[in-house]
Parts: sequence; C-alpha cells; structure tokens
Amino acid sequence: MRVNQTGAAGKTIVNEMKSPEEKDHDLSVVKKGRKKMPRGKKENLIGYLFISPWLIGFLGLTLGPMLFSLYASFTNYNITSRMDFIGFSNYKRMFQFDDLFTVSLWNTIYYVAFTVPLTTVGAILIAVLLNQKIKGMSIFRTVFYLPAVLSGVGVYFLWMQMLSPSTGLVNTILAWFGIAGPAWLFDPEWTKPALILMKMWSVGGGMLLYLASLQGVSKQMYEAALLDGANVFHRFFYITLPMITPIIFFDIVTSTIGSFQVFQEAYVMSQSGDGGPANSLLFYNLHMWNNAFELFDMGYASAMAWVLFIIVLILTVFHLYLSKKWVYYEGGDGR
Amino acid sequence: MKKIVKRSIVMLSALLLVTGCGDDEDTPRAAEGQVELDFWTFWGSETRRPIIEKMINDYNESQDEVFVKHTFLPWGDIWTKNLASIAAGNPADIIVNDINSVAQRADNNQVTDLSTYIDDEFMDQFYPNLRETVEVEDGTYAVPFNTDTRVLFYNKTAFEEAGLDPEQPPETWEELEEYAKQLDIKNGDRYEQIGFYPLWGSFGADAWMTNADDGRGFVEDGEVTVNTEKKVEAMEWVAQWRERYGGQTIDALTAEFGSEQANPFINGQVAMWVDVGTFYTQIRDYGDGMDFGVASIPAFDESSDNWSTGGGFVVEIPAGSDHPEEAMDFIEYITGEEAQKYWATENFDNVANIAGSEAALEELEGQEQEVFSFLNDNLAVTRTYPLTIEYPETVTKINPIVDRIMLGELEPGEGLDQAQKSIEQDKR
Repeated sequence: MRVNQTGAAGKTIVNEMKSPEEKDHDLSVVKKGRKKMPRGKKENLIGYLFISPWLIGFLGLTLGPMLFSLYASFTNYNITSRMDFIGFSNYKRMFQFDDLFTVSLWNTIYYVAFTVPLTTVGAILIAVLLNQKIKGMSIFRTVFYLPAVLSGVGVYFLWMQMLSPSTGLVNTILAWFGIAGPAWLFDPEWTKPALILMKMWSVGGGMLLYLASLQGVSKQMYEAALLDGANVFHRFFYITLPMITPIIFFDIVTSTIGSFQVFQEAYVMSQSGDGGPANSLLFYNLHMWNNAFELFDMGYASAMAWVLFIIVLILTVFHLYLSKKWVYYEGGDGR
Repeated sequence: MKKIVKRSIVMLSALLLVTGCGDDEDTPRAAEGQVELDFWTFWGSETRRPIIEKMINDYNESQDEVFVKHTFLPWGDIWTKNLASIAAGNPADIIVNDINSVAQRADNNQVTDLSTYIDDEFMDQFYPNLRETVEVEDGTYAVPFNTDTRVLFYNKTAFEEAGLDPEQPPETWEELEEYAKQLDIKNGDRYEQIGFYPLWGSFGADAWMTNADDGRGFVEDGEVTVNTEKKVEAMEWVAQWRERYGGQTIDALTAEFGSEQANPFINGQVAMWVDVGTFYTQIRDYGDGMDFGVASIPAFDESSDNWSTGGGFVVEIPAGSDHPEEAMDFIEYITGEEAQKYWATENFDNVANIAGSEAALEELEGQEQEVFSFLNDNLAVTRTYPLTIEYPETVTKINPIVDRIMLGELEPGEGLDQAQKSIEQDKR
C-alpha cells in the first residue's frame, strides 16, 4: 500500500510542475493569433536549439578542417610547399611500409582494451559505495573526485615519482606484501599497465555521472524488491545496474573514443617523449603527431587520422547496435 | 520561440566578446617610420632572457631604422607556432631554430634562402661543421648561433680515494671501464658510488656508436651506415655496462636521478659523467667547490680520435617574412663577434662565431677560462649530425632497437641489421 501512495504523490508533483509551462505556451500562441505549430515539429526545433552551440561550432569550425584533412590525406601535403594528389599512397604506406603504424595501433588497442572496462567497472563500484548513507560521505566523495579535477602534466610527474622502481610509493607498498614490483616505466612489458593503473586513479569523473544516475533510481523499486525478499546482489544486478545502463553506455562510448586518443601521457612519461622504451608507449596519436610536427608529413598524418576515425566510428556503430540488447531506457516512447 | 532565439544570439555574442582577447599594450613598440621586426626565441628563463634582451636592446639603440621586438615562446610550442604562422603567411621576421633540421625546413620551403644577402666571407666567420648544417645545395638557409660539445667530467676527489691519478683521466674505452670498476663503491647490494654508466648524462647509445665509428654518422653520403662493424661493437660494449651493474640497479637509479633536483655527479653518486659544456656552470654554482676535471670523450681505441657530438641553434628568416633585408641586418649583428662574445661569456655557451668564441675566452678568467678553452678545443673532434631528407626517421628507428638491445631482447648485430633495413625501406 505504502508503495502506491508514494507513487501517486510523485505523479502529482510532476504534473504540477509541467502544467504552468504548457499553459504559458498555449497562451502566447493564442495571443499572437498564429497557426499552432505541430507539437512534434516544435519539439524538434527546440531540440536543435539546445544543440545549436555544438552545431554552430561543428559547422563553423570543425567541418571545414575535417574535409580539408580528408583531401590532404590523398596528397603529400607538408603545410608549406607541397600538396600534390598522390592517390592512396599514404594509406598504402601505412599498411605496407610503416612498421611503426602497426606497433602504435597495437599499443593503442591494448591500452583501450584494458582502460575502458577497468575504469567503467571501477567508477560504478566507487559510485555504489559512495551512494551509501554514512557520516562524512561528502568528504569521501570529494576525495575520490579530486583526482579527476587534477590533470595534466603535473599528475604525470607525480606518477613518474610514484612509479619509480626502487623508491616509488607503488613499489614500496608492494614490498610490504613481499612483492618485488616491476620497473614500470623502464620495462616495456610494464609501461602500458603503469599507464592503465594511473588512469584508474582518476575514475572520479565517471564516478560522478554514475552517482548522479544512481540517485535517480526510484526508491520504490528497491522497496518493492525488498518486500519480495531480494538480497543486496539481486537488488544491484536486477535494479541498479539495468537502471543505469544508459549512463554506462554513454560512458563506454565516450571513454572508448577518449582512450583511442591517448597522447599526452606517453609524450610526457616516456624517457625522451618518443614513446620508449622499445616503442612500448608509442601510441597511435603520438606516431601521428611525430609525422605531422616532427617530419611535417601532414598528408600522411591526415591519412592516419582518418584511419583512426574509421576505427572509432566502426566501434561506435557496433556499440550502438549492441546497446539495443542491453541498454534500458525508462519511459522511452521511441520518439 | 523567437524570444529564445534572440536571447541565445545575444548571449552567444556576449560570450564571444568576453573570450576574445585584446593585444597587450605594455610591450615597447617601434617608433613611427621604423620597421618593426618580430624575433621569436624560446629563451625565457631567468638566466637567458635578460641576456638575449640586452643584446636586442643594444641593437635597437645602435640605429634607428629598425626596431626588434622579442617574443618568447616556450620550447616545443615555438615550432608548431612557427609552422602555423608560415602557412598562414604571417610568420615571425627572425626565429631561433634547431641546427640539425635546417635541411628539412629548406626542403619544405619553411625558411628564406639567405644566400642573396651573404657571401662566403660572412660564412667563414663560423665553425666549419656548423656551416655545413645550414648550407643546403646552393643555398644558405640559416646562420649558426651557438653550439655545444660533450665532454667527460670526472670527480678528482673520487679518483684520489680510488687510488687513481686525478690528472690522468681515461683516454680509451678500455681505460674508462677499468677506472669505472675501481671507482665503484658497493655496500652490500647497493652501490654508494657508480664509477660510470655510458647512457647517463647526455651521450646516448647513438653517440657512442658514432664515437666508435671514427665519427661516422648513421647516414653518410646518402648511404645508411647503421650496422657497421664498429657500431655493432659499440652497442655490445654499451649493453655490457648494463649487465655489469644489473638492469634493476640501472633502472632504479635512472628513475631516482630523473626525479631528483640535484645532479648525481655533483652529489657524488656517479664519479664520471658525460655532459655538454654548460654543465660546468651547474658544478660551479651548486658543486660547493667540488674538485673536478674535464676530459675528452674516451676514444674507441688508441688509434681512434675522441669523437664527440654537438648540436646547437641557428637564426633564420621564416619563409614569407615581410622584411628579410632588415632581418638579415639584425642576424649579422647577433651572430657577429661582439654579440657572440657577450652571449658566450654570460651563458658560458659555445658560440658559432670563431672570433667571438676566442674573444670570450680572453675575457673569462681562472677556472672558467680553463674549462672554456678546453671546450673550444674539443670542437675540433665534435661532429653535428643533421637529419637528412631521404632518411628523416633514423633516430626514431634506432632508439627502440637500442632499448631492446639494452634489455637483452636483441643481439646488437641482429638489432642494428634490423634498424638498417627498416631505415632503408622507408626512404623518402
């Protein structure tokens, strides 16, 4: 019974909040005596208006350079003196002669394959823990979110010290448990795990999204489940998780795209910014950057950028397709 | 609906107004009728900035037709900005750039050919190995500004304690190894003092390879010369040092040295250290009266020379600059004897102008003069290895292989063969 009551109350509030707005709209339309715009069209228009900052930015600033780089990828463009059409030569070179292309792509895929799932799971776990009602929770939330605010080169330097093989904090702690830590950034086998570990430290950004969506999960469902005798795991797997799938989906898509663009970390944390030792940190974007700004081979770099774009596009489409099978949109009417 | 659109437009334009930035008005400007030249450097540190700005100021005061404005851009940023501004047709008038990639920039039309403004006599002022780097085919695309050379610094006190003669630094690789063993101080598992490790300081595996190979670089006369016999031997020798000290020791210390403020040679953790000449100023300023010596890089064997490597910077006029003639006048001044002497004495830096370098030597005193004189002499066995147009990625391809050789994953011979092949196959 109690469940029903709360539900009803909730509904009323929603209705009350909506109605004045609608009244207002109706009034203004009547006043000006115009033909009423069909509701669907109006909603579309308002939707476009909301995304207009992005649209304006894309059309005005991004689209032109993108198309330019598409054309440049078929030329030997070097910014200052050449731009001759050379067909698919750049693409051919990538797959046939440039052994660093394969190395860099492999490094990047390795990084993405671990970073994305680990940070997603990590963020959800921390969000669930931080969603409890304990005293001093705001302090915990701040502490976990803080690393997401700190970013850039300073953090990388901090981690370089923490990962120092003999005196670093990470290996010191491992030594307490009798584990002889690896040489991290000096051992090609461990450089990527080191970076992935570092990424795990800043899951706070994703955590915040999950925390917000966790708080949006209606309490009545938990109450109903409790009445049905669901334990903590049941509640997590059958209520919490399905209810936050839209955010998980969003997080996975954006962090996959973001992880493919990994660059700074390698540029700063490898010994001379070249992706070493033994090319183990030569990520796709670092290799592309080297071609563009060290060798001025902008045509080749553009071609690399487009190959990356296509890889990411395929992955995103794949995600979108899969999402139909596991993402649950509450109250979505398909419009 | 219309209201919302109107409001958004107002808001957007307000935002653009707020974020748009104005030109700063504080910097000194050219007087009316003067030509203003924009001079880009990356010398913004407390030590270097006042020196370069004093030089510019002197030039501005010496005449009244041209006014040179100094623009400091951070290292790294300056190159991309330069490139973008050349592409946009609005470059700096003069820029300080890397000496090893002049040919690249010439090939890509990023710099102005200066040969119409200068002649052989002008270029004779500079050290010949630096001159080579800026003369590409028939053109001269930059003027050398400064250079450096790598030398061996050694701790005389440590030499005495180890029973070595502090006036007899090692002259060959064999001696270097022998001395290093005597200088090692080990306490249990931990080294308290490391005699020498070839890859610390600023002499990489590539430099040891060219040192062994009679100064021959990785591309000579259009041929890739990576897997030569002596270079392979050099790699074997370098790798063997890591084995001797143990990979773990080396990795741990490399990380430690990287995060420390103080230099391990000055700290007494390493007894012999290869670095650029200006490293002397660190010993002078932070060494607390440390007793040290300077020597040439040990030679491969008794019949070889003490080959060292050098780099440096040039001044050039980006392609499309509006006032090349005026810019050239400033370049002549700043690479001239007087200005170069000032730069050399104030920075303790090797300069490109021979007369300027010698004049600086006259002016320095005591230990400074001694070290500077040694560095000047060492330029005779110093080579610069400019990037070539056909094989621009030489170092990029060698470095990862060197890493793998050092880790014991590849035999030196096998590794350098791979590098040779990979470089040859990617010829431009």
